[in-house]
Amino acid sequence: MREERGSGAPDPAPRAPAGAAEPDAWYFSVRIAGGRYALPAPLVTEVVRLGPLTRLPSSPSFLPGVFTHRGEILPVLDLGELLLRRGTPPRPGARAAIVHAEPWRVAVLSDEIEGLIRVPRRRVGPPPAAQGAAEFLQAVVLDDVGDIAVLDMGRVVSVARSRSVPS
Amino acid sequence: MSDVHELVLFQLGARVFAARAADVRRIAGPLVEHEDEAVGETALGRPWDPRRGLVVKASGNERTLLVDGVLGLKAVPESDFQPLPRFVSDVLPTGALAGFAMLDEVPTLVVDLPTLVREGEPGAAGPREETRHA
Repeated sequence: MREERGSGAPDPAPRAPAGAAEPDAWYFSVRIAGGRYALPAPLVTEVVRLGPLTRLPSSPSFLPGVFTHRGEILPVLDLGELLLRRGTPPRPGARAAIVHAEPWRVAVLSDEIEGLIRVPRRRVGPPPAAQGAAEFLQAVVLDDVGDIAVLDMGRVVSVARSRSVPS
Repeated sequence: MSDVHELVLFQLGARVFAARAADVRRIAGPLVEHEDEAVGETALGRPWDPRRGLVVKASGNERTLLVDGVLGLKAVPESDFQPLPRFVSDVLPTGALAGFAMLDEVPTLVVDLPTLVREGEPGAAGPREETRHA
């Protein structure tokens, strides 16, 4: 599935056919600065359009603000700014993926949302040795288009915290 | 029926904030009697044209947070409050943001004034160390 479905949840990963050796892995993919990044599909609960942002004082550049979605206040995480220091200016109506990785719930802003992708497990590999954005990764997968870096939300938040400490 | 909290709304720069009225001892004019009681620069920023002050008790002393204006009081039901999202509290370098109050459907930041002025005191512990979750 490559398109958002209103503000509903992405399709759940279908079950593997009976007799299959190993189910495929499902990810939710976005594009940032020309690169492809993904999160494990179950963490992405829906794709929404951003409402008006309330900016926060003293907030780091990767946290452009919060917005209200169905009565819930959600922070917006600019992944491009955090990972590559190449931010995506939040525009009203821009699409964001809501990611729920306990205990965090954030709306992830990116250049483009690709949506759900399915990858055979044999195409899921370990992340490269830490360099650049590799510190955020839990795996690298290969699909028909190319490589996708799979993000580890725990590490993303951990690095976000370390970068937000005032100097 | 849910509890109702009284908030003071104030302006600092271009932004409007709220604080618990119970934390404000009084609203002062632009002149602060003892200059060292005045707090200008905080995690919320600095007032453009400080015309009012919110007098707060913090660390046993009165401190006056200088603001651009005091907009008034508003009674807000408990159901219109929301805590700070965990991601925000994890990455913001201040522990002085208590959450949001929905005012006319707009999320307005509720500020913990005693914490805000304490963070600015000389020798105060870094706010991240005070508030960071385990």
